[in-house]
Amino acid sequence: MDGMAGGFGGDGGAPSGGDPANADGGPASAFVFEGTWREFAPIAFTNLLLTIVTLGIYRFWATTRERQYLWSRSRFIDEHLEWTGLGKELFFGFLMVAVLFGIPVLVLQFVVEALMIQGYPGLGAALMVAMVLTIFYLSGVARYRALRYRLGRTHWRGIRGGSYDPGFRYGLSYMWKYAVGYLAMGLMVPWAMVSLWNERWGHMSFGQLRFSGQADFSPVMKRYLLFYLAPLILLIVGFLAIGAVALGIGAAGEFDRKELAWGALGGLIAIGFVAFYLLWGLAYLFFYAKYLRVVIGEMRLGDDISFGFSATTKDWFRLILGDVGLVLVTLGVGWIFLSYRHWKFFITYVEAYGVIDPDALMQSDTPMAKHGEGLLDAFDMGAI
Amino acid sequence: MAKVCWTRSIWVRSSFVAEMVEAEWYDGLTARKRTGHASLSGSVLLLREDDGTQTALPLQDLRFVERRPEGPVLSLNDNRGFRLRLLGTIPPDLAERLPGESRYGHWIDRLGLPKAAALFAGISAVALAAVLTLPNWLGPLIPQSWERRAGDAVIGDMGNTLCHSEFGDPALKQLAAAIDPERPVTRVDIANIDMVNAVALPGGRVVVFDGLVQEAESADELAGVIAHEIGHVRERHVMQALLRQFGLSILLGGINSDVGSGIFGIASTSYTRSAEREADEYARERLAAADISPLGAAAFFERLKKEHGDGPDWAAWVASHPVPSERQKQFERAAQKGADYRPALSEQDFGALKTMCDEDEDVEEFYF
Ligand SMILES: [Zn+2]
Repeated sequence: MDGMAGGFGGDGGAPSGGDPANADGGPASAFVFEGTWREFAPIAFTNLLLTIVTLGIYRFWATTRERQYLWSRSRFIDEHLEWTGLGKELFFGFLMVAVLFGIPVLVLQFVVEALMIQGYPGLGAALMVAMVLTIFYLSGVARYRALRYRLGRTHWRGIRGGSYDPGFRYGLSYMWKYAVGYLAMGLMVPWAMVSLWNERWGHMSFGQLRFSGQADFSPVMKRYLLFYLAPLILLIVGFLAIGAVALGIGAAGEFDRKELAWGALGGLIAIGFVAFYLLWGLAYLFFYAKYLRVVIGEMRLGDDISFGFSATTKDWFRLILGDVGLVLVTLGVGWIFLSYRHWKFFITYVEAYGVIDPDALMQSDTPMAKHGEGLLDAFDMGAI
Repeated sequence: MAKVCWTRSIWVRSSFVAEMVEAEWYDGLTARKRTGHASLSGSVLLLREDDGTQTALPLQDLRFVERRPEGPVLSLNDNRGFRLRLLGTIPPDLAERLPGESRYGHWIDRLGLPKAAALFAGISAVALAAVLTLPNWLGPLIPQSWERRAGDAVIGDMGNTLCHSEFGDPALKQLAAAIDPERPVTRVDIANIDMVNAVALPGGRVVVFDGLVQEAESADELAGVIAHEIGHVRERHVMQALLRQFGLSILLGGINSDVGSGIFGIASTSYTRSAEREADEYARERLAAADISPLGAAAFFERLKKEHGDGPDWAAWVASHPVPSERQKQFERAAQKGADYRPALSEQDFGALKTMCDEDEDVEEFYF
């Protein structure tokens, strides 16, 4: 008995009886990130070097080394996480997707083009639509399987996660829910996102404990509507402003610098254009920050553990601003530190509450996926 | 867990205490932490838990995970959940038997990073060079009949987008025959596409877009362009480009998953500069043999140069071909003073080409 069957968690968590994280006066969070970028730098730079000289093939092993480090510096209560995935798993996953998916797509692309050239545009278009639908379906499956793979390779106290479900049905859900979301003029997209999150995590487990997600989409709707209507609002505001300035210049009558004034208006429009996209992006961030807080906040593991995510829009904004600044200042090289920054961000703001009994936490008997995130890789959706 | 067995017998030696090292581990079955001592015993590592239970781990099953400040972390090959941390100084006889540290991966660790990086860079450079140069050798080795069959299977007769007319067809045939009388595979057509471009497609098919025909001011200009494209066919550039594209997409698939850029992409944009020069040289040779003035081609390039930037139409040709001014000069230089040049086609025949797509009533508009 390790004396950690007591409560854990940060503010609002259960009373901390034998919580070692609290006992030594350390931070109250159940998740703590202890890495430093100085430790990470040698890994990142050698990964970059080896990836370049192998024309990209090393990147699977590079990802593995990166995760090994990041996981090993992430503490949950009293013990660090461990990444037990292997580079060759990711590599074979990639190869499998290249053979089973990449080559057929390449061939189909040629067939579609040939049909178009030979004068069967209808048939070509039908084939194209079928291809796009298949890719849509597979990208849903890919998201699911990547999560399953990552949980299956994440160990804590020797216990791993996983899922009994291979995710092929989830792919169908992904298709119809997003289809409904977009068909309702895009208004139901938050519902699709939230319900898919719940569905995905509902099939996952850690040890013998099941995850569950019970989030409701209505709390995120207000912010989504703001993002949804933002272009309209911004356009109206923009046109009003431009109109006002133009009227002002016109009414000012005869003055020598009229060309200059019109030039300034042009500059203003350009600035407005940039501001438009920035504000629209910000509106999305505002929505996304809330979305993650809601879906993670309604997650549970087993009966006794619940989760939380506390990153605000401001935190996200700072993260992204930092990313952009880092990449710009280092002329692009800083790009190799982004995975570090994102993981640190995630671990810093994720929280868990409740009670866990290590004697009762048993090894997962879910099947272990033999291959890595090939599909996700092919669709370029890797978050970290 | 087949290889982790529980043993009852305790193997004691006189130096037992000195050889033990403090250890903590997870067995990969429950989340319970176990603490005790580890010691070497023949070819197994003995883990003795504080409550007296013993576990024997065959040394060859151990896998190195990482080195922590407090000591090495080990796992088992067939039980990824198993974690063993050795704490404190490890006796030398045990240290020697533990699996070696791995950092970058087996091969790289064995060679050392600098050597491995240099080796990989060398291999990559050779592979890249092979993919870029081998097609130049392999392309011409592929029988033209194969290429033609493959090209026909993919492109066929381009639907109904090729223009035909009573006087246009023989005029075009006459022009192609003048440039390349022996042409065994080349077929030249005008397609109802309103773009200033011409392409050599797989299967020895040269397609001049109607937009370019309309842009040409004389049959000599058209002859220059057609001769250049026939040059691509005759020098097997189409096959070379296909093979190179294929090789590159496999080799660089690791970096860029966006493989394949389509038939037109391959045929029109991926000739190398040296292939373009070869096609130009071929064109000048054939124009001279057919007594067609290269000044037509030169004039065409001059107009390209002047009007470059006027519209996206021009960009297509300019992007896939060398700088027009340089080529213009070369065609100008090829003109021989006092040579007895004849127009590539009579005014009447050239006019037939210009109106070919208008006259063809059931030709369809091509759309991408
Ligand atoms: Zn060319």
